[in-house]
Formats: sequence, C-alpha cells, structure tokens
Amino acid sequence: MVSRDYIRRREQRTGWLLMLPALLVLLLVYAFPILRAFWLSFFTENLSTNLEPVFSGLDNYGLMVGDGRFWQSMRNTAVFTLFTLFFELGLGLIIALALDQAFRGRGLARTIAILPWALPTALIALAWRWIFNTEFGVWNDMLMRLHLIGNPVNWLGEPFWAMVAVIAADVWKTTSFVAILLLAGLQSISQDLYEAHALDGASPWQSFRQITLPLIAPQIVITMLFRFAQSFGIFDLIQVMTGGGPGGATETVSIYIYAAVMRYLDFGYGAALVTVTFLVLVAVVALSWLYISRLRAKTE
Amino acid sequence: MLVGAHVWSQQPVTISFLLRAVEADQMQGLAEQFMAENPNIRIQMVRGPNAADAVENLYTTSFLLGDSPYDILFSDVVWIPKFAAAGWLLDLSDRVSEADLSDFLPADVAAGLYQGGLYRMPFRSDMGMLYYRTDLLEQVGLAPPETFDDLITAAETIQAQTDVDWGFTWQGLQYEGLVTNFVEIIAGYGGFWIDPTTLEVGLDQPAGVQAVEFMKGLIDRRISPPGVTNYIEEDSLRQFQNGNVAFLRNWPYAWAEANRPGTPVAGKIALKPMVHAAGEQPAACLGGWGFGISSTTPHPEEAWRVVEFFTSPGPLKDFITEFAYVPSRRALFTDPDVLATFPHYEQLLEVAETAVPRPPVGQYAQVSDILQRYLSAAISDQMTAEAAMRAAAGESRRVLGVEG
Repeated sequence: MVSRDYIRRREQRTGWLLMLPALLVLLLVYAFPILRAFWLSFFTENLSTNLEPVFSGLDNYGLMVGDGRFWQSMRNTAVFTLFTLFFELGLGLIIALALDQAFRGRGLARTIAILPWALPTALIALAWRWIFNTEFGVWNDMLMRLHLIGNPVNWLGEPFWAMVAVIAADVWKTTSFVAILLLAGLQSISQDLYEAHALDGASPWQSFRQITLPLIAPQIVITMLFRFAQSFGIFDLIQVMTGGGPGGATETVSIYIYAAVMRYLDFGYGAALVTVTFLVLVAVVALSWLYISRLRAKTE
Repeated sequence: MLVGAHVWSQQPVTISFLLRAVEADQMQGLAEQFMAENPNIRIQMVRGPNAADAVENLYTTSFLLGDSPYDILFSDVVWIPKFAAAGWLLDLSDRVSEADLSDFLPADVAAGLYQGGLYRMPFRSDMGMLYYRTDLLEQVGLAPPETFDDLITAAETIQAQTDVDWGFTWQGLQYEGLVTNFVEIIAGYGGFWIDPTTLEVGLDQPAGVQAVEFMKGLIDRRISPPGVTNYIEEDSLRQFQNGNVAFLRNWPYAWAEANRPGTPVAGKIALKPMVHAAGEQPAACLGGWGFGISSTTPHPEEAWRVVEFFTSPGPLKDFITEFAYVPSRRALFTDPDVLATFPHYEQLLEVAETAVPRPPVGQYAQVSDILQRYLSAAISDQMTAEAAMRAAAGESRRVLGVEG
C-alpha cells in the first residue's frame, strides 16, 4: 500500500520543483547583487586602480569612519526618516479614521486620497520645487499675501528649510498610502466590540485606546516597516528637489552612494556604503519583526 | 560574416555622439557641411538633456557597459581626466601635429593632457574674468584694479562716493562655480590647488588660506552682498546688469548680456584679466568643451575625421561667430571677421592668455566636491579659513592617495 507519507513527500517535491524557478529568480535578483556588493566592499576599485578590483580588506570601512560626508548623509537620512514616519503615521491614522466612518461620497474620498501616492515621484518633486521657488513659488506668494513673511524665503537654499521642504513633500505624497494601509486594519475590527465596549460605559477615546490601537498595532508596525525601508532609501524625491543641497544639507545615503559610484567611479567604496546601509535596514527590520511576533504571541 | 562585411563596406559609416539638445541644434549646420563633403561618413548627434551633469552621467553609464554606442565624447573640460583615467578614451597625440596644437590656447591643450597622453581636442573655450564699470571708475578717478588691494580700494571708494550699493559680485554657492572663482584667486596669490604631476595638494599652504580669507573679507567688509554665498552666475550678473554693483567676476557670455540694449549698464562696461596679489600673475579659470574619441569605437579613423573637422579653423570660426562663443584657437581672437562682430575679443585674448585649467586628475569630481564643501563652510562663517583649508587638503590627499 502506498503510504500517505509517500504521497505527501511526492507532493512536497512537486511543490518545491514548481517553486524552483521563482526561487532562482529571487536569488538572482536579490541575493546576487547584495552578496556581490558585500564582496566588492573588500576591494578598492576606483580610478586610482584603473577600475581593477584590488583586495584591500576593511580599508573602505575604515575610510567611512573618517568620512564626514558619510556621517552627514546618515544623519540626514535618519532625520528625514524619523520625521516623515512620525507625520505620515499621525496624519495617516487621522485620515484612515475619517475614511472609516460612513459618509456620503466615501468611495470618492478614498479614491482621491490615494492620488498623491499614485502620481510619479519625479513629477511631484518637480512640482514641489516650483512651489518652493523663491521668486515665483506659490508658497512664498501665499505667505506674503497673508503677511506672515516680509521678504521671500529661499526655502530650498537654506539648509534647515530645505530639509523641512523635502519632508513636507514626502509627507504630502505618502500619507495617503499610510492611510490606506491603516484603513485596511480598521475595517477588520468588528463593530460588535465597540458596541459592547460602549455598553460598558467606555468613552470614544477609551475605545480608541483600548480597542482600535491594540487591534491595528500589527498594521501600524508593518506600515512603519514599509515606510522605514522606503524613507531610508529615499533618492528620487530629494535628487529632483534639491540634488542633496544646499551644501549637502539634504544629501541622503542613497544620493551619496549614487555620487560615489556614478560621479567618482569609486565602486569599492560605493559597495561598502551599500553594505552598511543594507545592514542597518536589516537590523531595524529584524527588530521590528521580533516585536511583531511578541505582539502576536501575546494576543494568541 | 564575409557577406555582412562586404555589405557594410558599401554603407556609410555612422559616427555618433551625445550632447545637450541646444548644442545639437547649434552644431547641426557644421554636421551637415561635413556630411556633404564626406558622403561616406554620417554624423549622428544624439540629443541629450540640457543639464551638463545629466549628459555626463549618460556618457558614464554607456562607457561603464563596456561597449559605448558613442564613437565620440563631446565633453566639458573637467570630465576628460576621469574618462581618460578609466581608459575610455583614445590617446590622440599621434594624430595631431605640434604645429597645429600650438595654435590652440596653451591652457586648452593642457586641459586635455592626462599622464602624458592627449585625450581632447579643444572646440570652444571659456574663461573667468573681471568686468568693471568704466563710468564709475572715471567718476571716482581710479584706474582699473590690478591687484586684490586695488579692487578692495576701488570698490569701497565707489560704494562710498556713488549710489552703487555693492562693490563686487561673484559666485559663492556651493557648486562647481565656486571652485572656478577660487582657482583664479589662489593662482593670483601664487598658490595652487593640486599639482597634477606630483599630486601635491596646496590648499593648506599660505596662498590657499589667503585666497579664502580674501573671499571672506569681501563679505565681511560688505563689498560683496551677504547673499553672494548663494549666488550662481545669473544672480551675480543680474546685480551688475541692474547697475547695482561696480565689479563682476563672470564668463565671456556676460558681455553680451550686460550690453544688451536697454540694460542700464550697456556701453559702460569693460573687461580685464582677474586681479592678483602684487608681484604675482593674473589667472582665468578655464572652461569650455571639446572632443575625445571612445577607445571602443570600431571607426577611430572616421571619428578622428569628424573631430578634426569640427576643431579646424574654418568651421570653428563659423561656429563661434554665429553663436557668440569663445574660440579655442588663438588666431581667431584677432581674426578681422571675428573682431568685426566681437570687437572685445581683443581684450578677451589678454584674459585667455592667463587661463589655467582645473587640475587634470582622475578624481577631479571628488576633490572638487570636497573643496566646494569646505569653501562654502568658510565663506558662510561656519569655519575659519585655515581650518577649512586644512580639512579640505587632508580629505583631498586621502582621495588622491597621497597621505601627507
């Protein structure tokens, strides 16, 4: 008699065989470039070596420690990521709560809310660059009409304001995406819970704290993960809006990597930068994953 | 294979290169003239973006792939060492005679040299200089300034005695333009940025620090407006055009802009080589565009014919006269036809003779970024001149691999 185990094993084997092409593609597309960058980061490969890789151990990582521009770009990336995450989560949650209520035209409102996310980033960045233009921008025009400022402010030319401007642009673009993700979480919460809670005498604020937040916590964490990974690798928006300027005040790690590889042809150092950025990303994602699984274990 | 080769030999060879779309329009006339004279060679000008660094990136990407679709590199003067160091360009020294080279401005030739090879044929040149208001100098009874001190005296006198607000505008934003201003000043103090043969870095020597202190001093003494640290060419020119400033550092294009009919300063301006320290020589930072040939092109002979044509005296003269550019050939500055259109080219030649290239090192983009960062920090008062130059010199030495 053919054992059940045998059938199961055969099915498993077929399953693996069917998945093999997909796994190979994944390996080729993800694992290979990362491993190759890791490998390359132990070599010096730049114009001083005629673009030939020469083994140099940890030299590239040593250079990074003393490279002020690397630390500045890391700091910029951290500031950008923290502030965009904070505002996008906060505003996104408010919008999600609003869109979760029943009102006329809700479908339309939901569609409009996703629009900024659906538009191409480079176009949006170009539009924001015009909005913040010193002489012709609408933002300065509005503020001056309201007499909030006397003279035009050079938004993208001042280090502090340039960072504020790119954060504002990213928040505008991505908040709706966060809202949609959180809305999905909100809709999975049964209304019965709120009714029962209200019967027990809970206020809406208590319901929000005790039911809504704990139940959408996984969605919040996943959204944060998504957004963290995207913000940490931000390139297009900033490249188009400020090019990393003024004076490197908005230069993120991705923009620095691009300069190291494309402008300086310093492939070894670029690879080391990629490796470090990747490891930071992996570390944060791993920590969040740990947190989610703890959360799951608690609720089960 | 043989059949294919046979068919190909009947076909005209296509020589292609990438350039900014505006320039492709301007160079179309010359290209057509060449193709009419050489029916077996077609020139294909690929129209790229109008931002020069975007064009550089496109060239870089295509060369990195190993088999560039471009036979010719149409290049800003500062790209050449990088492309040569990467091995992407052919050495042209065997193709051009000493006699022909000596007709070009010496700095234009020097800018194409990398480790003994010649990788660029100069096309149109560019250089920085001092513009001044003849009427204002006359009003206060001063001669055009020769030295840094003369400039400071003249500017302060004019600011005190006339209703002109500012003495001198230049380019102080953190970008390549700031470096070109600095190159002229450090050379004017007898110093240097990087010696291309020894790779010695001279930023932290006295002349380097003096140069930065001069630039800072212009702002501190209110000779230059505080906003100059955010200026690019257009901003500094606009102040000068409006009659708001006595002296301007800019490129040759500013002449026509400031003399445009209806401009308050039209007809009241003159140009001269940059000011310098007493006992030193003036210097003009060299810019401009030229041609290199890809080391992977299957048609180096035909590519050379194209380059030779574009950079030869006749076509070059037609081109610079029609589009008001500066020639790289010395004889064209004093050519009667050119002078009939642009009488000021006689003074411009004086400036051109003082031109110095930016250091032709492979890592130019990197060392320029370093210098830009620290110059900007110094002139916007975030660092002292000495600390900024010491840091810039240290980082530059690390990049160049010459630990000091």
